[in-house]
Amino acid sequence: MALGVAADATILTLILALAALGLAVIYGLIGVINLGHGAMLTIGAYVTWACTGAGIPFAAAVVLAGLGVGLVGFALEHLVIRHFYDQPFETLLITWGFFLVTTEVIKIIFGPTLHPVTSPLPAALDLGIITLPAYRVLVAGVAVVLLGGVAALLYRTDLGIRIRAVIQNREVASLLGVDIGAMYKMVFVAGCCLAGIAGALLSPILSVGPYMGNIYLVRSFFVVIVGGIGQILGGTLVGSFLIGGSETIFALLFSQVFAQTIVFALAILILRFRPFGVLTRR
Amino acid sequence: MAELLRTERLAKSFRGLVANQDIDFTLAAGSMRCIIGPNGAGKTTFISMVSGHQRPSAGEIWFKGERITERSVVRRARMGIVRKFQTPMVFDNLSVFENMEIAVLGAKGPAAARRGRIGEVLDLVRMAEIADAPVKNLSHGQKQWLEIGLLIANDAELLLLDEPTAGMTAEETHATGALIRRLIRDLGLSAIIIEHDIAFIRDLHAPVTVLHLGRILVEGTFDEIAGDTQVRDVYLGEA
Amino acid sequence: MSLSRAAGGGRSTPSLGAVVVSENGAAVLTFAVLAGLPLVASDYAVFILPQYMLYGVLAMSLGLFWGFAGILSFGQAAFFALGAYTMGLAMHGGGVAGVIDGAYLGLFLAALGAGALAAAVGYFLFSAGIRDTYFVIITIALSIIAEQLAITQSQITGGGNGMFIDRMMLNLGPLGSFSLEGDAAMYYFVLPIAGLVYLALRRLVGTKFGKVLVGIRENEDRVISLGLDASLYKTAAFALSGALAGFAGALYATHASFIAPSLGGVLFSTEVVVWVAIGGRTSLLGALLGGIVVASLSNYLSAITPEYWQLVLGLLFVAVIVYFKGGVAGALAAMLKARRGRAGEHG
Repeated sequence: MALGVAADATILTLILALAALGLAVIYGLIGVINLGHGAMLTIGAYVTWACTGAGIPFAAAVVLAGLGVGLVGFALEHLVIRHFYDQPFETLLITWGFFLVTTEVIKIIFGPTLHPVTSPLPAALDLGIITLPAYRVLVAGVAVVLLGGVAALLYRTDLGIRIRAVIQNREVASLLGVDIGAMYKMVFVAGCCLAGIAGALLSPILSVGPYMGNIYLVRSFFVVIVGGIGQILGGTLVGSFLIGGSETIFALLFSQVFAQTIVFALAILILRFRPFGVLTRR
Repeated sequence: MAELLRTERLAKSFRGLVANQDIDFTLAAGSMRCIIGPNGAGKTTFISMVSGHQRPSAGEIWFKGERITERSVVRRARMGIVRKFQTPMVFDNLSVFENMEIAVLGAKGPAAARRGRIGEVLDLVRMAEIADAPVKNLSHGQKQWLEIGLLIANDAELLLLDEPTAGMTAEETHATGALIRRLIRDLGLSAIIIEHDIAFIRDLHAPVTVLHLGRILVEGTFDEIAGDTQVRDVYLGEA
Repeated sequence: MSLSRAAGGGRSTPSLGAVVVSENGAAVLTFAVLAGLPLVASDYAVFILPQYMLYGVLAMSLGLFWGFAGILSFGQAAFFALGAYTMGLAMHGGGVAGVIDGAYLGLFLAALGAGALAAAVGYFLFSAGIRDTYFVIITIALSIIAEQLAITQSQITGGGNGMFIDRMMLNLGPLGSFSLEGDAAMYYFVLPIAGLVYLALRRLVGTKFGKVLVGIRENEDRVISLGLDASLYKTAAFALSGALAGFAGALYATHASFIAPSLGGVLFSTEVVVWVAIGGRTSLLGALLGGIVVASLSNYLSAITPEYWQLVLGLLFVAVIVYFKGGVAGALAAMLKARRGRAGEHG
């Protein structure tokens, strides 16, 4: 029983980490307060639903979702965001406007009702002591792979070094010949792709609707801030664990909705006392 | 003369990097001190600890006999410790007058007295004619003077000036020196001035404290410092 | 002599002098139009406009905080809803033994409760130096919490089914009791209140408090280094904006007769931000009109073509942020300034 709860909590933590990863990259690395993060998850889910509805296999649909949202992100960055990197408040409002516009476009094209996406792995995974929903285990596994991949890219590759150089010190990096604009663009689009993939993978779990991704908007911000901005791997994991884990525990005691209320209140408390996240030493 | 400011064994480290160490510094009321030293000597960090923007890692600070080591920036400003930053910190999107309006809000007394004060200060810093000018249109030197004006708007006692003549022409530098001397002499203010401009420091006729690698290297009059071989080595060595 | 010009002006921002004069004129015009409207407008308009005027008051509460202190709050709806539900509970409770009218008690408690909550949250966050961008995210979370509490605490709030509230009676003691059931009666009750709030806020921004807020908006560090406790001023401004929003919510509750949890949620908070952004955040009149006009348009056009109007609104919002930071009021002021030549001249 306890093992089942622990397994559930771990899976939920990893799924939350997956949802937050795109934001961790965008907010954590280039400081863009992307209030459109939820919308990006939603777009990924809709692309997946549309593709699977057209007969495209699920895995391919997920990839297409990632690319699709990446493309949308590219357009947004190129047309608008790149002029506002030094104005965080404007970026915040613009990305929120992006959310408003995108949600309405989705409602116009697909209608406001919810659409189900059939799970590609509806079976349960029987591990003897416990049974787990196979699909969620798969998503949790993908989360681990993506988290590891992003961390590896940032800390083990040349590209990663250049990205981190730009973040640490833009002036020096540009003097050393790094194309700042291109780096920012790349990071933004990568964050969007990750959000799209997350939304795609979440689509069989949640019902696909115009506001689907927004459930993860505030949660993702809290995950990133509580874990520590810029700590892509450790921060996202710790943040997800604290936010997701506590939500699971409280949901056992109270209703799901009330649990979220408590967790948000707790996150605000943590933020106030540790504005740099629990991992950062200040 | 009464002692205005005293620090005892003041020190500051940032995660292992020592910015200041063992600073025993005193300033008498109504006097000036220039702080010089190569880059990285800890001058701005020292000022930051006096203004309250940085907490010392060790040591104590006394102002007018009161221990202020843990007091907030706001409280210290109300006590009269005001600071001019390396890059001018003024209200860029407002006019000169509007800047002063905000600065005098800390003063006690009726609104009429505050309006009078604005006029006095603007006269002192020679900005009365351009009171309505947007700060954006001011020259760098004018912005620095405006900032000084903001500082003296209410009952200031100790001016902490971080490179007040940076980016100024020779003429502006000279005028700034005259302004500071006038403030000390006529208003009874005290000042600690971080500077690199040797001519400016010489014209101020104020004692000099030389910082090096976070510590006080030597203190004395300008002539004594100018002739000090240690100081020369430090400056030449750093170049 | 520039000193006498500067000393003689009671205006807070001479460079916006042109705006102030024309804002005065525009304000008079606005309220004159609003006063005369019931004589020519349809019955429905007279019925629904008090609601939009209260939205205008809600918008002004955000305009004060965002426009003057420069801090964005996505939480105004939470205070609005808190005020609304407080009013509902007070009116259901019937007041205090005939001594204190339930409605008046509700209005008072709504403003006090919302203001106190805002003061507590504001102090908790600002005293720790929470950055403005974090503050926005936290207010989004607050709106979500407010909506969820309204849903889950259904024994108090009626949950998802909402709460029904009567129209209040205007109890003027020895002058008698007036029913506000009639549309015109309600209209002429709300209009002067909106006007008074506007006037009071206009006066406030010209005082020391208002100037400190502007200073905080322009350069908070400089304000602190001049000896003014910025976090206390921010807390006070947030408390005031919360109290105003709660007060508007209480009046809304007794006008609309029905309130639901979504009144406190993020989507409604967003609408408030959109109203103020489009109307003009640094102008109280802009915020007021943003609330009234955009909300009325929304209601009218939503009935015809809901998704397309919301889409247009969203695009308009982005356009305002990118190109017209001052909203409609700011754009008008800029046009006037250009036409009068140099800024700062007598205007």
